[in-house]
Amino acid sequence: MAVHESDICIIGGGITSAMLAERLSELRPGVRIVVVEAGKSIFDAQNRGQYRQRAIDYGEHPWHDDYIEDQQAAGIVSMTMAVGGLALHWGGACNRFSEEDLRLKSMYGLATDWPIEWRELEKYYGEAEKRLNVSGEPSPHPEDARSQPYPQGPIPLSYNLQTLKTWAEQSGVKFSPLPMARNLTPFGGRGSCCVYDTCGEVCPSGARYSPDFTFKQLVAPKKIVLHDRTLVRRLILDDTRSTIVSAQAVHQDRPNDAIEYRAKTFVVASGYCWSSHLLLLSASPRFPNGLANSSGLVGRYMNGHGFIQATANIDDQTFPGQNMTHSLISRQYFRCAADKPFVRHDTRVWESSAGRDPRLRAPDGKLLLGDELMADWRSRTTGSSVRLRAYVDVHPSADSRLTLDPLKKNRYGDPMPAIEHHFDEATQARQAANKAHVLDVFGTLAKASNGRIVNTSEGDYLDHPGGGCRMGSDPAVSVCDSFGRTHDHENLFVVGAPTTPTGGCTNGTLTFVALTLRSAHAIANA
Amino acid sequence: MKRRTLLQWLAAIPAMLPFGSLRVFAQPRELTPDAIAALHEIAPTVLPAALGGNRARNVTDRFVAWTRGYREGVALTHGYGHPRLQKSGPSPVPGYIAQLSALSADARAKGGTWSTLDHETRRALLDAAFTKAGVRQLPPRPAGQHVVADLMAFYFRSSDANDDCYHALINREVCRPIAITTKRPQPLA
Repeated sequence: MAVHESDICIIGGGITSAMLAERLSELRPGVRIVVVEAGKSIFDAQNRGQYRQRAIDYGEHPWHDDYIEDQQAAGIVSMTMAVGGLALHWGGACNRFSEEDLRLKSMYGLATDWPIEWRELEKYYGEAEKRLNVSGEPSPHPEDARSQPYPQGPIPLSYNLQTLKTWAEQSGVKFSPLPMARNLTPFGGRGSCCVYDTCGEVCPSGARYSPDFTFKQLVAPKKIVLHDRTLVRRLILDDTRSTIVSAQAVHQDRPNDAIEYRAKTFVVASGYCWSSHLLLLSASPRFPNGLANSSGLVGRYMNGHGFIQATANIDDQTFPGQNMTHSLISRQYFRCAADKPFVRHDTRVWESSAGRDPRLRAPDGKLLLGDELMADWRSRTTGSSVRLRAYVDVHPSADSRLTLDPLKKNRYGDPMPAIEHHFDEATQARQAANKAHVLDVFGTLAKASNGRIVNTSEGDYLDHPGGGCRMGSDPAVSVCDSFGRTHDHENLFVVGAPTTPTGGCTNGTLTFVALTLRSAHAIANA
Repeated sequence: MKRRTLLQWLAAIPAMLPFGSLRVFAQPRELTPDAIAALHEIAPTVLPAALGGNRARNVTDRFVAWTRGYREGVALTHGYGHPRLQKSGPSPVPGYIAQLSALSADARAKGGTWSTLDHETRRALLDAAFTKAGVRQLPPRPAGQHVVADLMAFYFRSSDANDDCYHALINREVCRPIAITTKRPQPLA
């Protein structure tokens, strides 16, 4: 059996792992850090232009083999399992939550409070933005005050977004350029943005942050050891104490050879799904419900935000294709008066070509060819389509759960996770009113420029999911403390998305990173 | 054995083989010269006349190059929200060759070649061919259902077509300085 010893063993190789490993190597130079990731390393940035082109031309996935076919979960939002995780192909949106997210119970009597003060978390937002080199413009709302400026100014608004900002703000709602982890000038060994406009799939210049760059920069000077294609299957307890002594793993190419990772401190940085999964899989006679689970809450309170979207048609002219991955955001509805019906959401605006794309047949069914098709297309391009979306604050019930599915197992016989989201009673009770509110906001936006809403829809999954190992001060109703240290095991931490008690009403990645950077200090001193 | 009989016999060998994979390898991987010629003959009907002969020929040549670059069994984008593993299907080339051959035969049955048919007859032939192939709308990209619909998608879904439609140099999908996007796109020359 291969045995690897380290000071800190980080399980999982996504964005929180990258940020944690980088920060730990700064806080404790020389500390032995090993990162173990089930998926492969895809360190071929030089080929990404070609991969992007094949994605456009053929629909091919630009991250080759970034998944493990038999290591999948029912209800998961992405199949990706590779060094870099989901942030290999995220859009790069870097919105902050707001103080309301941390004070839902005390301000509104809803869900639960986070065990962190806003001012404390705000500092780490600043650090996260620096590391990710976020490009942004300060919010116009005084409640969103910042202690540090954005490391870069905002991404310049395209002509289209300038047009749409003017249109949208006639409603009285203020919009800003979406903050994004996108280099405007070279930074961190990555290039600058040249509007390939495929941020959410692959960024050939590396302008949009992805964790593979960080890992490469940590591995080369031996600041960390990275073991990819190695699946941690169990965490093992000390025989007498409640500390973790090792992680048992297996390499994809050597399934019959056990690997053991021994460390002083273990950090589960495996995202919202696989973190809870590993803790539940690690059940033992002394902890029959899984590790860190004396509260019974591992895998519970799985969260995220719902979303409502719409398409508006307006008379103002735009030219679809200028910068379709950038957008406008309003934080106007991040806060809600305590004496009013509770509703919180962000509001996003994108350029769009919906309903204005080329089509093969006229409305009467006639096949359109050549000039006819172009004329039909051109006749529908006067004015603009606008894509609108709101992420809505919804709160999980305890039954919003990740469980082990005994009927679905990987090649090693481990049961795979199944995730089902459920809302608490208060969320269910306000769903209709929340939807009506959002559609009213969309309708108000659409009034300018002879606008009208032409379709609406609701998401059928929760975006930017988190939860499963929620943090809290009371061990009876939480899995870990505000630093991610599990209540049951002093040398076992969970970081990032799984620790969030609630999912907020805007993109979560920056929050997951900020929480992790805060945890780094506690982990370094553990 | 007559030459034609020999050729028919040779052509039938792949179908007699017991292994599906061997049959796949026996399929043509590239469009034949006749198929490419047929495609060039049809292209002016389905691409905008404003492209002119050279650009239409260039679009068709690039589409032929697209067929050469097609790879089977490659993982496609697996999506977000409700991810699903899908792989690219068999090469569309054998189907394309058969479809182009059928269109040429249809044209002959109407008493001429594709170029000599009137526009409505061409439309009727393509309409029937698309219906038979299950093509209901313009594919987001060439999808292998029908070669002519795929040629149309190849052009009309492109960044160039977007510019042609808007008479503006938007350059969607083209690497460019971000400052350019802050201005109203220049009109096409």
